[in-house]
Amino acid sequence: MKMKASIAKIIAFFLFFSTLSGCGYNSIQQNEEAVNRSWGDLESQLQRRSDLIPNLVATVKGAANFEKETLTAVIDARSKASGIQLTPAMLSDPAAMAKFREAQGNISSTLSRLLVTVERYPELKANQNFRDLQNQLEGTENRISVARQRYNASVETFNFSIRQFPNSLTNSLMLKLKPKEYFKADAAAKTVPGVKF
Amino acid sequence: MARRGSWKLSTILLFALLQALSYSSLFAAIAVPALTGRVNDYAGMISAPVKADLEAKLKAFETAESTQIVILTVPSLKGDPIEDFSIKVAEAWKIGQKGKDNGVLLIVSKDDHKVRIEVGYGLEGKLTDLMAGRIVRDEIVPAFKAGQFDQGFTNGVSAIIATAHGEYKGKPKTEGNGDNPSMSLLLIIFAVIYVIYQIFRRFFWGGLGGGFFGGGGGGSSNDDNFSGGGGSFGGGGSSGDW
Repeated sequence: MKMKASIAKIIAFFLFFSTLSGCGYNSIQQNEEAVNRSWGDLESQLQRRSDLIPNLVATVKGAANFEKETLTAVIDARSKASGIQLTPAMLSDPAAMAKFREAQGNISSTLSRLLVTVERYPELKANQNFRDLQNQLEGTENRISVARQRYNASVETFNFSIRQFPNSLTNSLMLKLKPKEYFKADAAAKTVPGVKF
Repeated sequence: MARRGSWKLSTILLFALLQALSYSSLFAAIAVPALTGRVNDYAGMISAPVKADLEAKLKAFETAESTQIVILTVPSLKGDPIEDFSIKVAEAWKIGQKGKDNGVLLIVSKDDHKVRIEVGYGLEGKLTDLMAGRIVRDEIVPAFKAGQFDQGFTNGVSAIIATAHGEYKGKPKTEGNGDNPSMSLLLIIFAVIYVIYQIFRRFFWGGLGGGFFGGGGGGSSNDDNFSGGGGSFGGGGSSGDW
């Protein structure tokens, strides 16, 4: 009789821990870490772009008669964006994410407007310094695009993992994690600005 | 009864048709081609002797420094931006050694007149976007513009090797397709199941040793089968056109 009870207890003990992994407690945590890591990657690429801008502005300023508004637009967009930080804890907040995205989208659109305007200044276009900077900017934009895709993929995995049954129970009873926001490309950044000649 | 059956069939067919239609969008983009070696000249831009010369150079470089450089030419990108296609190929082929991420993909689209050097994470220190841009602009594009593709590829490869030189020294991949940990784990699991099965069949140990552990990583150098070493890419590099 006694043996049966303790065996039952042992079996219950093992069942509990096996269902723990079956219910996704660990995999949800793992997915959240993956989201934070890919967010870190994305943030560092955005920072890299931000660091390139002062150089770009200095090079462009040197060109004769370069229009001021285009330059100031980039400088303003950059300083505004550097004031808006998004920590991993805020990744579930749609309002915070929207603000962050808008600020970064602003940088994208003012930058592309600047680069399009440079087409009108052949000496600047031929300038080795400028060409190097343009290279670096293009490389950074590509890295941002890759990092964003990977971030969104990790968010998808995480959001799905907290919604599918039975993990959804684990989440609502124990972890209480909210779904993360995607980093969608800002609609304004997608439109190519026209150049008025 | 017959009517109900045919209704079911038509629903199934409709469902299958909808499924098929939903996949049609996949055919708009270009698929990742097969990795056949270090020089994958699907567009037929490189002459045979130069191709052999490039293969030898790239193989020697990998043997010396474990860095993998691979060339891919395609006839057309079919509307895909070269950056999107390039990162897809790099992620699928996994060029460069796992952990070191020292892979380089030189990709050219013949009809689109586009060229890109895609650089793995680990090489971004030496082969920066800047250097990649200069190689594209100064070494490859001028020759391509003059229609001298062989010259362009030779110049490009030499420049890439020179820039990446010295970044990595290490044990290159000499064994066949490298260790595949999940494969050996699977084999272990099968072995355990097999052993338990044998125990239950009244201790027949005879067949255990013989012939069960068939495949699993060879030790011989497999030079004919080039494959990526598991390296990853972050989108660094530079594109250009001619």
